[in-house]
Amino acid sequence: MQESAYFSSYTPTPNTWDEMFGADAQIRDHYQKVIRYLGNESIEELNKKEDLAKRLFMSQGITFTVYNSGEGIEKIFPFDIIPRIITGDEWAFVEKGIKQRLEVLNLFLKDVYSNQFIIKDGIVPADIIYSCPHFLREMHNVKVPYDIYVHVAGIDLIRDYDGTFYVLEDNLRTPSGVSYMLENREITKRLFPDLLPQCGVRSVTEYPNILYKNLLSLSPRQIPNPTIVLLSPGIYNSAYFEHTTLARLMGVELVEGRDLVVDNHKVYMKTTTGLQQVDVIYRRVDDEFLDPLVFNPSSVLGVAGIMGAYRKGNVAIVNAIGNGVADDKAIYTYVPEMIRYYLNEEPILKNVPTYQLGNPDEAEYVFGNLNKMVVKRTNGSGGYGMLMGHAATQQEMDEYKAEIIKNPRDFIAQPTISLSAAPCYMQGQLTPRRIDLRPYALVGPDGIEIVPGGLTRVALREGSLVVNSSQGGGSKDTWVLI
Amino acid sequence: MLSRVASSLYWMSRYIERSDGMLRMLKINYASSQDTIQTFTWEPVIRIFAGLRDDHEIAALGNDSRSVLKYMVLDRENPNSILNIITLARENARGVQELISKDLWQCLNEYYHTVRSPGIAFMLEKDDPITALDTLIKQGMLYYGTLEITMERGEGRGFINIGKFLERGIQSVDILDTKFGSIDDNPNLLTDTSYWKHLLLSLGGYEIYLKTYRQGFEAENVLEQVVLNNDFPRSVIYSVNHIQRYFDRLKHESNMPEFRDLSFLIGRLQSSIKYSSVKSIRQDGLHDYLTNIRSELFKIGDALNQHYFAYS
Repeated sequence: MQESAYFSSYTPTPNTWDEMFGADAQIRDHYQKVIRYLGNESIEELNKKEDLAKRLFMSQGITFTVYNSGEGIEKIFPFDIIPRIITGDEWAFVEKGIKQRLEVLNLFLKDVYSNQFIIKDGIVPADIIYSCPHFLREMHNVKVPYDIYVHVAGIDLIRDYDGTFYVLEDNLRTPSGVSYMLENREITKRLFPDLLPQCGVRSVTEYPNILYKNLLSLSPRQIPNPTIVLLSPGIYNSAYFEHTTLARLMGVELVEGRDLVVDNHKVYMKTTTGLQQVDVIYRRVDDEFLDPLVFNPSSVLGVAGIMGAYRKGNVAIVNAIGNGVADDKAIYTYVPEMIRYYLNEEPILKNVPTYQLGNPDEAEYVFGNLNKMVVKRTNGSGGYGMLMGHAATQQEMDEYKAEIIKNPRDFIAQPTISLSAAPCYMQGQLTPRRIDLRPYALVGPDGIEIVPGGLTRVALREGSLVVNSSQGGGSKDTWVLI
Repeated sequence: MLSRVASSLYWMSRYIERSDGMLRMLKINYASSQDTIQTFTWEPVIRIFAGLRDDHEIAALGNDSRSVLKYMVLDRENPNSILNIITLARENARGVQELISKDLWQCLNEYYHTVRSPGIAFMLEKDDPITALDTLIKQGMLYYGTLEITMERGEGRGFINIGKFLERGIQSVDILDTKFGSIDDNPNLLTDTSYWKHLLLSLGGYEIYLKTYRQGFEAENVLEQVVLNNDFPRSVIYSVNHIQRYFDRLKHESNMPEFRDLSFLIGRLQSSIKYSSVKSIRQDGLHDYLTNIRSELFKIGDALNQHYFAYS
């Protein structure tokens, strides 16, 4: 198996699914071609490729800014040059599972904002829904086009020690990272000429076209060229690069809240030739900041009166407002039950077992086993405010426990799942690092489409299980084979 | 086009034009500082480009070429340093990335990283400053070429060009005013051929001057070329003609009153320059003449801001 010098120190992590190595220390078939290709490259060449990748990210401005002592410092999101590879069969399974899940989550949102059968039938308890800060009464009985609430979803998947896929969380509000899926692929084309077609890697370039087609279909006005805009919080937002990339690839206008104005329940943008009516808004501004008249009154990122225009059906907003109730981590627990309730099917993708700290019995069990648990806030994201039981000190655990007792509904706990590992190129060697997978699903009137690929995030620190970019994570190009 | 976007394009363009004019000026002045036995004075350059009007501040900068160059190119405290205006140009471009071509964005982004690279600082402080200035000038030329080849024709480019020629017009007026102003203090300069030669070189008008005027360097000829020559791309009349040309293309039914308002301002300025001559300028007084043009150019900028960029 020693096909390349880069393996001399590659020791698969014990009790972990290794994406490249099989149980008998054989390289899995789908990694063979890449490993052979790498075997023909010297360390100098690979280092050069790593440098080229950094330079390309830098010169294209694919950076985020860290503000330090008054001056912005541009940093790139770390990129590992070795692709993460998914077989056609694995992908078919994931795709089917995500479609099932999204269909149900859309049904759930429609139900919870109208008849609430799921509460009346006792499947999801009312208090869990009404105590969720993202459940917005303002959305009750609002008719959204085609009953689609989730148009863009980024469902995070992880793999346990035996390779089983689990859903870690559903991101149904404004999931980000898709520009990295697209850019990582562009970089790989430059780094490894000819390798992509040789390996039979499926293309991801259709993403912006599908998104555009879906946005177009939502226009409330039946006119030849409806105005579609992407609403961004502006250049200081950490995902700003993504907003510009998507706007450019779709050929739509990138607007900020201050560019829009509402008059007589219609949304307009301010142009050099007067006001122009806006039909569809792909917004990357959170619910809370969208309309200062309805939500956070101090928000300057939103547009006053936009909620009124939305309720009247004069403008389509993507994703719908109030989706947070469906990706809340406490409600996540009930998704398998929802699938059985709405579709009468068994869930294809498994949930990670989750304990509600709002439930006294479950809380007692969690407190007794805190060192084996990951505790999260139900409405948190970005890896902030988490307790990793296996790595925490007694003092950290005590402090966190005190926080939980103040407001148990806001927390859930999950047993530590040991994320799968994939080879990363580090200082001239391949070394295993933990990864997850976020495929991007697009829901439109014609159904659910998932481009074959996604964002693979890597925990670059040795032994770390946290892949969030805010916590020292990086990313890899993600290949789905035919 | 969004008003915010139009405004960003206009400012991006103004900043790049400013940096180009400034870098050329610095390069020629540095070269000329190496070619003189008297103390070389940087005061006019600082006066034109650093936005400093206070004599004490200007005096405090001194006449040491390296420290002036460092102040003009890299000083973060100088709001008009190349580093700061390129950062502003890039920030403006960043906000309109989906409208400008990807090539243009990358070009500005590279310019930004180049200005901040340690190599430029080293060359300015210790090595050959001309190499550093040339590197930056070349980044600017890449921008112009990329813009020309990749940018879509239409409203956006209209605002870019209006910004460019407005900035250029203001710059040429400022340079002339300062250079001719110095003669009042030191009448000997009037007959100093190298003084006029350097002025022309820093405006890129040296060769065109040689071809037009055969009898050596004379102040009146320089004045004529820089204000009235229709074929000299940095002349005041050339800039105003181009503002007029690109503004005309912004004509649109929905905002005729605003269009007429601005069109009037531009037309008035254009005629006042077109129907003047070196003789009439001398009669009116050069300083007053230039001051009037400058204030008319500022009025055009204000009107654009009010009618096309304002968020109301």
